[in-house]
Amino acid sequence: MSVLSVSGLSKSYPSFSLKNVSFELQEGAITGFIGRNGAGKTTTLKSLLNFVHPDKGEIQFFGQSFQEHEFEIKQKIGFVSGGISFYPKKKLRTITSVTKRFYPQWDEAAYKEYLKRFELDEDKVPDSLSAGMKVKYSLALALSHRAKLLLLDEPTSGLDPVSRDDLLDVFLDLAEENGVTILFSTHITSDLEKCAEEILYLRRGEIIGRGKLKEFQNQFVLCNFSKEQMEEPLKPYLAGYKREKEGFSALFYKDHLPEGNFDYYPADLESIMIHLEKGELA
Amino acid sequence: MKNLIYKEIKLALHPTAPLFLLLSALLLIPNYPYEVIFFYTCLAVFFHCLSGRENHDIEYSLLLPIQKKSIVQARFLFVILLQMIQVLVSIPFVFLRNYLIPEGNRAGMDANVALFGNVFLLMGIFNFIFFVLYYRNPDKVGKAFGIASTVFFTVMVILEALVFTVPFFRDQLNTRDPMYLPQKLIMLVVGFVLYVIFTGIAYRKSISTFEKLDF
Repeated sequence: MSVLSVSGLSKSYPSFSLKNVSFELQEGAITGFIGRNGAGKTTTLKSLLNFVHPDKGEIQFFGQSFQEHEFEIKQKIGFVSGGISFYPKKKLRTITSVTKRFYPQWDEAAYKEYLKRFELDEDKVPDSLSAGMKVKYSLALALSHRAKLLLLDEPTSGLDPVSRDDLLDVFLDLAEENGVTILFSTHITSDLEKCAEEILYLRRGEIIGRGKLKEFQNQFVLCNFSKEQMEEPLKPYLAGYKREKEGFSALFYKDHLPEGNFDYYPADLESIMIHLEKGELA
Repeated sequence: MKNLIYKEIKLALHPTAPLFLLLSALLLIPNYPYEVIFFYTCLAVFFHCLSGRENHDIEYSLLLPIQKKSIVQARFLFVILLQMIQVLVSIPFVFLRNYLIPEGNRAGMDANVALFGNVFLLMGIFNFIFFVLYYRNPDKVGKAFGIASTVFFTVMVILEALVFTVPFFRDQLNTRDPMYLPQKLIMLVVGFVLYVIFTGIAYRKSISTFEKLDF
């Protein structure tokens, strides 16, 4: 049984549309939800929890419809949107004392343990926490009600490299030790390379890539060309391209390469993303 | 619901809400439009919702394992509770005022049973306009309050004008208790029934519009 199953999710705004988004999350997997700013990652995540009302689509958590089992499902999930923005002047202790009343399965010992692990002081207020500490507090709340699925909206944005790495370690521990399923959106590709097994790639409201991260990456190769070489014969083969200091670098699907001897080299996730986003030929 | 009311008090409560309850003491002023005292509760409701916006209360509440409509239910219950406490707190001051000051109120309706009919009607009208507008767009809480307050004061002025111009209001309702008590009780019941109707309609409309909002 998949932890989360999304099928045909669509939402239209005057200037943006989420088109037929479908994916599944398997238990204990860390899935990176990638796409550039404005691709629709936050809209997708918010649609899952009905914060945004989708025009159509079917969403099931743990095999249950969200509409019919909102209460039970929310007990099992944690949604963290870039740290906490609510009640910035209230002590963490006060926020927790209210929040935990809503969760019958609240684990106070686990909460204390996470506070210790994340070095959080309950007498502080959210306003006095760094971006990373805010995310960690949100995680502590989510994990102390034993969330089985974490939906994280750009949790690493704005964090320094060390804090980001710390947080990714936490994700790895949660998935490995506790079997927690994690879907986290980001536009920082190195985050995914460190901890994600699966990838969902959203571009302009459409999923253009999903599956194992390695398999996704292995579909592509890069090659450099001079301006003269980037002529008509190559264009049908391009997945994307971008200008370089001298000429162009081009992204190709491995199974759709142009004839001729070219020096291809492996594409990392960042290169894939940049080429796909910048080149209009995909 | 108990937990959500706890959240309203522990996290969302604006400090002015309990403080404004003490303004019931303004009933001790000999000549004063006493309905104004109950406007302070409406002001506290506005501060409560305004502070909710600044503290992202709705975003916090949406993350809790509750149904979306429960957020509206809790807010209405909290406001009704606040308004009822305001009425209850003011009753001893009515008795005290009438014990200390034998003269009637020259600035409007006497502090009597009928006054509470007016008060319920005004609070019901405020709830109706404020919440219907507020739940259409919680970010525009100031606009909702501005319009609701304007209507509150307009109706209040009309009610006060009746006290000076219409014989039934002037000679029977605007008298010391227990004179004309049956007439005043009718006014109280009518006011309370209208409060229930206006607040009830506001509640239904609010749930319906809030459900459709995207966050």
